[in-house]
Amino acid sequence: MNGAHFVVQALKEQNVTQVFGYPGGAIMPLYDALYDGGVDHLLCRHEQGAAMAAIGYARSTGKVGVCIATSGPGATNLITGLADALLDSIPVIAITGQVPTHLIGTDAFQEVDVLGLSLACTKHSFMVQTAEELGSVIEQAFEIATTGRPGPVLIDIPKDIQVGPSVTHALAKLIKTENTLNSAAIDQAKNMISLSQKPLIYVGGGVGMASAVNELRNLIAATEIPSVCTLKAIGCIKHDSPYFMGMVGMHGSKASNLAIQECDLLIAIGARFDDRVTGKLDEFAPNAKVIHLDVDAAEIDKLRQVTLSMTDDLKQVLPAITIKPNIEQWQQHVAAMKVEHECRYDHPGEPIFAPALLRQLAQTMPADTVICSDVGQHQMWVAQHMFVDRPENHISSSGLGTMGFGVPAAVGAQVARPNDTVIAVSGDGSFMMNVQELGTIKRRKLPVKILLIDNQRLGMVRQWQKLFFNGRYSETILTDNPDFVTLASAFDIPGETIVAKSQIDQALQRLLNSDGPYLLHVSISEEENVWPLVPPGAPNDRMMESIE
Amino acid sequence: MINALTVEAKNSPEFLERLLRVCRHRGFTIQSINAEVNNTLQTTQINLTVFSERDITLLTKQIEKVVGVIEITLLQQPENIKVSA
Ligand SMILES: Cc1ncc(C[n+]2csc(CCOP(=O)(O)OP(=O)(O)O)c2C)c(N)n1
Ligand SMILES: [Mg+2]
Repeated sequence: MNGAHFVVQALKEQNVTQVFGYPGGAIMPLYDALYDGGVDHLLCRHEQGAAMAAIGYARSTGKVGVCIATSGPGATNLITGLADALLDSIPVIAITGQVPTHLIGTDAFQEVDVLGLSLACTKHSFMVQTAEELGSVIEQAFEIATTGRPGPVLIDIPKDIQVGPSVTHALAKLIKTENTLNSAAIDQAKNMISLSQKPLIYVGGGVGMASAVNELRNLIAATEIPSVCTLKAIGCIKHDSPYFMGMVGMHGSKASNLAIQECDLLIAIGARFDDRVTGKLDEFAPNAKVIHLDVDAAEIDKLRQVTLSMTDDLKQVLPAITIKPNIEQWQQHVAAMKVEHECRYDHPGEPIFAPALLRQLAQTMPADTVICSDVGQHQMWVAQHMFVDRPENHISSSGLGTMGFGVPAAVGAQVARPNDTVIAVSGDGSFMMNVQELGTIKRRKLPVKILLIDNQRLGMVRQWQKLFFNGRYSETILTDNPDFVTLASAFDIPGETIVAKSQIDQALQRLLNSDGPYLLHVSISEEENVWPLVPPGAPNDRMMESIE
Repeated sequence: MINALTVEAKNSPEFLERLLRVCRHRGFTIQSINAEVNNTLQTTQINLTVFSERDITLLTKQIEKVVGVIEITLLQQPENIKVSA
């Protein structure tokens, strides 16, 4: 068995069944080994697509996503995807071919210092130096990617190690240590919760990553403490939970942002006080003591000084801090704010109102549909107006905000969950950034549905130009977009364009009922904006709700 | 503020590079640095002083996360505090 076959064997041992990638010179031995079968390889049409498909695979299942690329340009093309996985803490393994060991450092053909490149965009990275260490490197890579705060790990494998003989390696038995909670900290947390009059739970992506959704829901059900969530945590709390107010932050709901500003105790769970969440940090939750629960100790006191923190497994901590405070007045106040600031979907005229269309889609799509969003205004409308009841079903590039994410992420999710409906909601700008992945959809006959919200603009940037740059629309007008339905048809993907409210019902039915892939191209006005909006540098209670 | 710290880590060709990147990216400029490999233990010990307006724990907590770090000791404090064991 050569090194490349050994890698495939090791992937199987890690229960990897599907990988995404693109071949090339320095990774050819691995592709030769994949040719023998055992692990299903999906050819994406750009390494960035492969990395994002691996992310979609991981996020829709909680498993590790694997992507593969050749040296040099193959590896550099992966980088954006790895950065995306790093900022959203997604367990992804990237395997790259490298020029043979004796050529490293000679500026060989397609040689790039991939380890050097990876340092800023992975949790960890390896360059395999000898055949002996190949096995332990792969094992460590999976361990690092999945434990603590998850993240992407890169393994760079020189070609000579792929073709050379492999050295068998006994899998080390990993000893899991049972953690015991600090009972003094637990008591203090319970004490703080029972003394508080206006407690608020602020849920971040860490809850889903820790598989602690049930524990969170139990905590919320037992304590009836009002709650808000971040973009990445959408789905963790059932959307119709009584005191759940939706997303917080720049485009969060008004009720969420006001509740944050008013609360006297903020219980941050798997959240990291990101600037898109906090607005002006000094004025975020100004009256609150903070309990911060996060597995990553480096997040504690990074941006907000907290009163109490615990870095234990959320599955253990959340049940332990459960205590019901006496907060009827606060609950009533929160419930009233929620009603007062509810989204409205009435909209004049025939042109399509994207928030209402997305709402309707959420109401009609099958249970357990996976929504993969691209980046821009449409992404915020998805977050605000669609409801999803599992974090695995709302896949949105949250930390990096990577345009081009939606379609390849949907490819990965569809491969991982072949029996569930997967919908990519994209924008006309974002769609063009990884449009080549339509080729992957065609090649693998994936029934991915694409809802393309077309405002003929880089809408989110345009919105800022309108609000903060005197309406100087520098390079955001895309009236020269291609004919998207024709474009999709070149990949055998049927589709249609709609422009009026009266067309929505039937078009959504055709989208959802199609056996294969489908493109629903929705033309909307460029004047629609995302509201509310916390302007940059403002505290969260100073939201703009319209143009003035 | 200037702080002095000692980082002991499993030796690897790129460890120093990782450490330097974390320092720079997190807003700490290096005032002095000395690195020495212990071939018997296969470890490397790096002594460095860093300058930043930011709290030093923002750096030490990030360094603790770098794979291979065995121990960080913060020196210029009232007494030596072991940050990790
Ligand atoms: C790779 C990348 N480049 C640039 C940006 C900056 N950016 C954020 S949103 C946006 C516009 C997105 O346009 P579109 O996909 O049409 O979505 P819309 O806002 O119109 O709904 C841009 C350019 C980004 N987030 N990612
Ligand atoms: Mg657009």
